[in-house]
Amino acid sequence: MYRGPACLFLYGSKRIIICNMLNWFKNKKEEAPEPPYSNEQWVQLLSKPTNDRAVEELRRLLVLGLKPALYKYVDRELEQFVEDVAQDGLIKILDNIATFRGESQFMTWAMKIAVREGLTELRRKRWQNISIENLKGGPEDEQGKEIFSDTFASGDVSPELATAQKMAVEKIEKMIDELLTERQSKAMRAILIHNIPISIVAEQMGTNRNNMYKLLYDARKKLKNELEVQGIDPEKLLNELSES
Amino acid sequence: MKLTLDIIKKMLGVILATREDEIDCDECYDRIESFVEIKLSGKSAEEAMPLVKDHLKRCQECRQEYEALLEALQTIKKG
Repeated sequence: MYRGPACLFLYGSKRIIICNMLNWFKNKKEEAPEPPYSNEQWVQLLSKPTNDRAVEELRRLLVLGLKPALYKYVDRELEQFVEDVAQDGLIKILDNIATFRGESQFMTWAMKIAVREGLTELRRKRWQNISIENLKGGPEDEQGKEIFSDTFASGDVSPELATAQKMAVEKIEKMIDELLTERQSKAMRAILIHNIPISIVAEQMGTNRNNMYKLLYDARKKLKNELEVQGIDPEKLLNELSES
Repeated sequence: MKLTLDIIKKMLGVILATREDEIDCDECYDRIESFVEIKLSGKSAEEAMPLVKDHLKRCQECRQEYEALLEALQTIKKG
């Protein structure tokens, strides 16, 4: 603990608080070694009290890496967006520094956090006005039914094949209706038909991405098992449906 | 649920790719650092970590995150 002259005339808890503050400022300003840093140095310099130079170096590297990583997803103001993501990522990294286990390079771990931060934000922005409760234009509305009918009446396939395909499709629709829960069906529809990201669907259904993945995994397994029970080989069926 | 032929095909593809031992998004997130570092070292991450490879093939969001992470780290490596 810092034992400088300022502490000498103070007593009790006041003395401890002021000494800690002085100590904090002293460490914060202390010169960090020249980067690049080892994993141990990163952890030491970014643990409280954080070292300004190390924080700035981390921010610089995040910005450097995030720009090429995110540019294809950002349609305007890339620079500002990347700066914001780097800043948010930085806060998250500092908050979680104690959880870094050193199983990878520090920057791999840190960049992983920042990348997720950036892509999550982009997905939120992209889908912010879409509610999975009000999905339109899918195969379940009138327009969709027309597409469905047209698929089998287009003349691209023989009548026999069209009938076989139609029967197969109806069988799968029945399986979905009978086997899947309402949540599984709703999530599958949003993700597979409307291509809404799993994390957005999860958020709107009051859960998280991992639980949503598990919900869909269970749905896929149920359907796979049922196909097996009915003696249907999904690969063969897929090939048959792809014939035209 | 009324579905188009294309969606049924997509669904069958997804069903077909379902495995007993597949990992979820959290497990993939935990292992992605090793996967990306093997890739950066020039070795086959796909061979070394087939379950991660399999998850990335199936999960678009994890795949996007992996690709962005790889791109970011390659840029930093170049300096």
